[in-house]
Amino acid sequence: MAEISFPLPDLGEGLLEATVLEWLVAVGDQVERNQPFVEVETTKSSVELPSPIAGIVLTLHGDPGDVVLVDAPLITFTVADDSAGIVGTVPQEAAPKRRVRLSAVLDED
Amino acid sequence: MSEILELVRQTPLLQLSMQQAINRALGEILEDDDRALIFGEDVGVLGGVFRVTDGLQQRFGANRVFDTPLAESGILGTAIGLAMAGFHPIPEVQFDGFAYPAVNQIITQLARMNYRSRGRLPMPVTLRVPSFGGIRAPEHHGESLESLFAHVPGLKVVSPSNPQQAYHLLKKAASMPDPVIFMEPKARYWNKGEVDLAVEDTSSLEGSVIARSGKHATLIAWGAMVSRCLQVAELAAEDGIELEVLDLRWLKPIDEAGLAASVSRTRRAIVVHEGPHTAGLGAEVAALVSQSCFDSLRAPVERVTGFDVPYPSGDLEDEYIPNIDRILFGVQRVLEYRRG
Repeated sequence: MAEISFPLPDLGEGLLEATVLEWLVAVGDQVERNQPFVEVETTKSSVELPSPIAGIVLTLHGDPGDVVLVDAPLITFTVADDSAGIVGTVPQEAAPKRRVRLSAVLDED
Repeated sequence: MSEILELVRQTPLLQLSMQQAINRALGEILEDDDRALIFGEDVGVLGGVFRVTDGLQQRFGANRVFDTPLAESGILGTAIGLAMAGFHPIPEVQFDGFAYPAVNQIITQLARMNYRSRGRLPMPVTLRVPSFGGIRAPEHHGESLESLFAHVPGLKVVSPSNPQQAYHLLKKAASMPDPVIFMEPKARYWNKGEVDLAVEDTSSLEGSVIARSGKHATLIAWGAMVSRCLQVAELAAEDGIELEVLDLRWLKPIDEAGLAASVSRTRRAIVVHEGPHTAGLGAEVAALVSQSCFDSLRAPVERVTGFDVPYPSGDLEDEYIPNIDRILFGVQRVLEYRRG
């Protein structure tokens, strides 16, 4: 298992911080990729953030009402070592299947 | 001498995925070489989208492992400038398809700076590129750029097929004075294999290797296609056909002698790659084999490749990448060819 932390992104242009309004997940929850996990409020708007990966929530960095700085840790997940990257999926190893049979007349010279 | 041999024997064999093997090699390179630097998109804080650079920024600091803006041309420009200043950059382009914005820097500067400066400005740059398809990713995340880079004088190109090779070939690439494009088959990142950390005879890291011996035909492949060809060889054995699998590894320069040695024995060759057919690296391999083995060849060199279409979206990937049956058909064609 590996731990992956994600920092609060800059949700506007040049914003410095955001306030946690509500966590939509709890520690121990399995979160899917793109699943909204928190609602935060900036000086411009309030917004739900989607999870960039699938994983189990290890730490929520802040309580509702807390201010989190841009680039400071927001959430930490534990993910399996063989979990996919942020893009794509892990290829499934299936038993090799074939339809073609070889029929060779081999010259032995 | 006997103490060294004893040490070698004590070096443990590790079970590592390719992703972990590359991570380990990168850590050792940074440890051994003060001038080595790693940078690219998300390689620092995040540890890379495939976790290949996981933990390196924590270990070596943000001056040696750092995130860049999303600007591949800038990543390569930075690498070139750093190399001019005496550093040994190991930049990452996050995905093969993101290398296109950097191609100008790679071809017009990186590849020819040594030549242009009459050797005064060598470019010891190792460019890591997660490459090829197979992970159901969107567009620009499954390209095969080997023939593009192999065509450029001044570049070396290498692609490992398993964790053992990834570990050693990356360290070898990073020690070379020339720019090396290191193509990591991302479909194989998660497959574990035995890694022997012992320092190999460095000449064993040059050229191609025989991944499986056989006598009826040679399958020539690199990257993720090597493991597929090994599966094909296993199935062909059920039909009484013994296929040799040659892992080309270095795609520039190509190991002509290794190709010739294998195909002159088996007398038949099939080259397998993911990239499109026309002007793919298979054409170069076929030409080299035809030239060196013309008298012994029993059939024209067969190419089993991707199609001449843009790399398709995930759902069509299995139809595009050479699959077991398409490779077996290729084998059948060379086996049944008769001079007319």
